[in-house]
Amino acid sequence: MLEVRGLRVRYGTSSPALDGVDLTVAPGECVTLLGANGSGKSSLFSALSGLLRFDGDVRFEGDDVGKLRPAAIVARGIAQCPEGRKLFPELSVEKNLRLGAYVGRRDRRGTDEALERVCTLFPDVRDKLRAPAGALSGGQQQMVAIGRALMARPKLLLLDEPSLGLAPRMVQAMLDAVAAINRAGTMVLLAEQNAYAALSIAHRGYVLANGKVVLEGSASTLQQNELVKKAFIGA
Amino acid sequence: MHLFFQELLNGLVVGSIYALVALGLALIYGTMGVPNFAHGHLYMLGAYVAFAGVTIAHIGYWPSMLAAIVVLALVGVLLERLVFRPLRNAPEVNTIIAAVGVLFFLQQFAQLLFGGDYRVFPTPYDKVVHFGGLVATQQQLIVIVAAAVLMIILFWFLKRTLTGATIEAVAQNRAGAALVGIDTDRVSMMVFAISAGLAAAAATLIASINLISPSMGFSVILKAFAIIVLGGMGSVPGAILGAFILAFAESFGGTYISTSYQDAIAFAVLVIILTVRPTGLFAKGT
Repeated sequence: MLEVRGLRVRYGTSSPALDGVDLTVAPGECVTLLGANGSGKSSLFSALSGLLRFDGDVRFEGDDVGKLRPAAIVARGIAQCPEGRKLFPELSVEKNLRLGAYVGRRDRRGTDEALERVCTLFPDVRDKLRAPAGALSGGQQQMVAIGRALMARPKLLLLDEPSLGLAPRMVQAMLDAVAAINRAGTMVLLAEQNAYAALSIAHRGYVLANGKVVLEGSASTLQQNELVKKAFIGA
Repeated sequence: MHLFFQELLNGLVVGSIYALVALGLALIYGTMGVPNFAHGHLYMLGAYVAFAGVTIAHIGYWPSMLAAIVVLALVGVLLERLVFRPLRNAPEVNTIIAAVGVLFFLQQFAQLLFGGDYRVFPTPYDKVVHFGGLVATQQQLIVIVAAAVLMIILFWFLKRTLTGATIEAVAQNRAGAALVGIDTDRVSMMVFAISAGLAAAAATLIASINLISPSMGFSVILKAFAIIVLGGMGSVPGAILGAFILAFAESFGGTYISTSYQDAIAFAVLVIILTVRPTGLFAKGT
């Protein structure tokens, strides 16, 4: 279980990017984080991955992971697929994926099995293993980015805007894959601007605005909420 | 035609040294964005460590080279940890000033220990070899072979090992590398160690052909920067290709035009190539 209490992030002297965020992700859950650009979603993910210093309390499976370095956080079972993918464009797809298993690199059989699972989940990736990641289409790159995070065999997967810049058909395929990952037992925290799509696969959700949680509830409750409809779904 | 091949051989010797030095510089720039102006003086320090090994400790040529590589690798790690890491998020000008500071510190340090005079680096490989009408010293042939072996090992390490892939990963996306659990600070230290070690190997190889002095780093750093600009900032293949282009331009320009304008001819070639390809021969990457 991930428990975040009173998380604050401030860049320099500007107003805080995150201002006392509380949230939880329980075992088996897919939780979505909705918010407009600049609401603090990516800052939250950077903080949870150890890339950003913050005030507050972050516990994972009961342990304080708030001050750990990124490598230690991955080793604890939290992996992130970041916004913009952050792939290694000149390396082959296979090398990108194998680097995703870097913290567990001594377990070669486990790495090979994880690679096979990623290729089963994303058959397009299997065909492109030798291609440079930068030569793939946007949708294929997103599959590699999610696959790379899965190679660490995470207990919690942080997905930051996986549908950004993808064609509608590809968005649905991506969300189906995320739902399948969650059904297989991995907790998912999914940041999305595409609220309708995210709420269709999530159990619960939070709405972030100006660095604060302004709304939370079950996915069905949020789908019916007038503020969410107006701000994100366009109804 | 005989002269042509003789100059080709000379170009290979000089290009091998330039390549080893420029490779280190390109690795550091490619992975950390640090223009390490002190790199030429790491090369100089490597020459003096090997010189001390041969003339003071009397441990022989190859053990002295190994000692120089190890000592300079440690110096590289210290530089990364104590000087460049604290400046990672500082403006680039701070990093440049720090690198220049290290450069002068290393020069004064070498001058204090060994004096400011030119020194002759003794080599057991000073016999002249004749083959196919060409003339070379054993040491020149050792330079070519040893540099080729070191470059092959470096390429194997970068392309065939997971640890080497972490260097490429950090060069291509530092944040992405951190997110998969690569310790990017450790990679930075490793890159400084490899780069300084390569500089030490290059310096030891060429030291017995040229003389050594505390200021020997200046000319090599100027050329190494020209090479990595020509090759494409941070590109490993670009650094190697750029090194040999510069070396052959010097070698052939000096022979067929004038030795007085050898450097001018070489840099004119660089300017012409950069006019055609302003971003260098290869895009950034390793």
